Amino acid sequence: MSPTANILSWYNLTSNLYYRYQSSELTHVQRDIFLIGSGQTRFGEWWHMSLQDLVQKAMDTSIENAPCTALDIDMVITANMLGELTNNQAHVGALASALLPHKPPALRIEAACASGSVALHTACAFLESERAETILVLGVEKMTDVSSEQITRALMGASDNEKDQVPGLTFPGIFGLIAKRYMYEYGLKREELNIVSARHHENASKNPNAQFRSPIAPESVETSPLVADPLHMLDCSPISDGAAACILSTKYKSPFQLRASTLANDAVSITDRESITSFSATKEALEKALKEACIRREDIATIEHHDCFSIAAVINMEDLGFADKGKGIECYTKPSSHTFNASGGLKACGHPVGATGIKQLIDVRKQLEHSQSRYGLAHNFGGACATCCVHILEYTV
Amino acid sequence: MSTPSIAHRALKTRNQKNQSGTIISYTTITQSQSHTIALIELEDGSRVLGQIVCHSEQNMLSATALIGQRVMPRMALSSITEQGLRIYDISYEVIIQKKIDTFDESVFPRYILAITGPSGVGKSTVSKLLGTVCSHSMTRVPILTTRHPKEGDDGEYTYVSQKEFEKLHKEGKLAAYTDIPSNSEERRYGYVVEDLERIWENGKVPVVVTEMHLLQGLAQHFGRRSILSFGLLPPGKSRRAMLSSLLFRLRKRGRETEAQIRERLKHAVQDLQFFKERAELFDHILVNEDLDTLIKTFQKHALETV
Repeated sequence: MSPTANILSWYNLTSNLYYRYQSSELTHVQRDIFLIGSGQTRFGEWWHMSLQDLVQKAMDTSIENAPCTALDIDMVITANMLGELTNNQAHVGALASALLPHKPPALRIEAACASGSVALHTACAFLESERAETILVLGVEKMTDVSSEQITRALMGASDNEKDQVPGLTFPGIFGLIAKRYMYEYGLKREELNIVSARHHENASKNPNAQFRSPIAPESVETSPLVADPLHMLDCSPISDGAAACILSTKYKSPFQLRASTLANDAVSITDRESITSFSATKEALEKALKEACIRREDIATIEHHDCFSIAAVINMEDLGFADKGKGIECYTKPSSHTFNASGGLKACGHPVGATGIKQLIDVRKQLEHSQSRYGLAHNFGGACATCCVHILEYTV
Repeated sequence: MSTPSIAHRALKTRNQKNQSGTIISYTTITQSQSHTIALIELEDGSRVLGQIVCHSEQNMLSATALIGQRVMPRMALSSITEQGLRIYDISYEVIIQKKIDTFDESVFPRYILAITGPSGVGKSTVSKLLGTVCSHSMTRVPILTTRHPKEGDDGEYTYVSQKEFEKLHKEGKLAAYTDIPSNSEERRYGYVVEDLERIWENGKVPVVVTEMHLLQGLAQHFGRRSILSFGLLPPGKSRRAMLSSLLFRLRKRGRETEAQIRERLKHAVQDLQFFKERAELFDHILVNEDLDTLIKTFQKHALETV
C-alpha cells in the first residue's frame, strides 16, 4: 500500500469513528448515575487547616450524608491543581485514599480551574464502564499558605507557558485583555459590569458556605484597587482554601440523577483564538450536554456558572445561550426565569481551584431541592476556557 | 519566570515576533510595577502577547484608546534572571500616526537640525556657534522653560510660568515638551510650533537642542524625516571616561550647584543608553573633542542635506 493510500484509509477510519461518536448511541449517559451524598468545607482562609484536614472534613461530611458506608466506596478521584506549588504536595489521590479504612484505588485529575468538573466527568466514565459502582469525587485546594505573588505565578500555569508568559502578565491580566476587547466590541460600560459582583455578593449572603457573606454596593467595585485595567479587585474571584466532595453511584439510588456530563476543549493560548470575547468550548460542551440529557435550554431552572472574573460571567451568559451576543449583562440587569449563581458564584463563594467544579454540583443539588425544580446545570472552565465541562442534574420528586 | 534554557528557546520565536502589527486589546496590570500588555495581530496574521513600551509619557497620554493602533517591534530588557542573565525580548511601541502637511520640496526642504546629548556635552555652545557662523542659513530656536533665569544663560531660553506653559500645552501649541523630574529644581522645557514655522518661513533651518523626550516629541509632531538628527558624545573611550569629562565640564562652567550636577550626571547615564537603544532616531553621532572640527562636520552634513 502506498503511503498516501495508507493515510487515506487512516483518515477514513478516524472520520468514521468520529461520525459514529457524534451521531450514535454515545450521546447519553450509559448508566443511571446518582448523586447520593455530598459535603464541603466552608470556603475561606483556613490557616488552622492543612490540605489533608480539608480533604478529611469534606470526605467525612459526604459519607455521613450518603446511604452507603465508607467501605462501599470503590474508588476515589481527587481534583487538585496546585498542590505541588502551594503545599509541596503531589500525590493527592493516594493521600485521600489513605484516609479511608480500606484504602480504595485513587487517582488525581488536573485541568486547571476545571479540575473539579473533569474529575466528575472521569468518575462517570468509570461508572459507565462498570469499573466501579460507587465513587467518591473530591476537589481540594489550599491556596493561602503562600504569598500572593507566588499564587499569582502558580495560577499562570493554566495558560500556555511559552506563548502567554510575557513578564508581568497575570490571569487577571488575560481577562483584562478580554474585558477591554469586549467593551470595545459591544460598548459594555464599566458601571454595568459593577452589577455582576454586587449580585454575586448579594446571593452569597444567604449561603452559609460562602467566603464573603456581606453584600457590596455596585459602586464599590469600581472604586476598589485597579488590578488589570479595566478589572478591579472586586471583579476578581478570591484566593481561597476549601474542599468539596460528591459521592456518585450506580448501585445506590437518590432523587438526584446525573443526566449529562460533557467535556470540550479549545486552544490554551489566547493568541491562538480567533475571538477572545466568546468561548467556543462553553458552546460546544453545552450543546453536547443538552443533547445528552434530551432537554431544551429553557428546561433548566438553576445554573451555576464559572464567573472567575465579572467579565467571564457576562460572556458565559451569551455562550450558554441565555443572552444574545453583546447582551450578556442583561441576565444581571433584567429579571429572568432562571437563577444564575444563586450560591454567590466563584466571586463571593470563593474559588479554591480544584474544589470549585464539585461545589457547583453540590449547590445545584441544593437549589433544585429548595425550589423543587427539575433540571440544574453546572458550568466549570479552566484557564481562559481552554477546558470546559458541563453537568446537568435532574431532580425527580 | 525565565531560566537560561527558556530564554534560549525564546530566541527561536523572536524573528516571528519581530514584525509590526495592530493592537487587538490591551491591559495595564498594576502590581509592584505596572506593565501594559497587549494582544497584537502581526502583519503575517499571527497573534502575540507583548509588552507595550513607551519612552515618553506623552505617547501614552495621547494614546488612551490603544485598540486599533499600529505598533512597531523594539528590543527591550524584559527581565533579569536569578543567575544574573539579562533577558531581552521584543516589546512593541505605539506609533502615533501623524498627518504631515505636504509642501513643495523644490522650494525649500523644511527640516530641523536637532542636537541631542547629555547635559554639559556642549549642545548650547554648538548651537550658538552654528547660529552665528551659518547665520545666513540657520537660526537657533528659543527653548520655552519654566525654570528661573540663571547666570550664564545666554538668551537661548524664553522664560514662562508653570501656568502659561500648561496653557500652551493644552492649546496644542507645543511641538514637543519634557518634564525633568528633580528634587533640586523644577524644570519643564518645550518648543513652540510657531517659532519653528516662522524660521522656515524666513527660509532658514531651525536649530534645536533636545534630549530624548524632546527629540521623540519633535519626531512625532513633524515626522522623523523632517529632522536631521545629531547625537553629541563627550570625548572618552569608555562610558566612565565620557562621564568624567562631563563632570569636569559641568563643574567648570559653574552654573549648577553640586547637587544639581550629580542629578544631571544621573540623567546622562540614561542619555548615553538612549543613543544605543534608539539608534534609528539619529543620523550622525559626533564626538565633541575639538569645537572647530565639530562645527565643520556639522556644516558639511547640513549642507549636504540642503
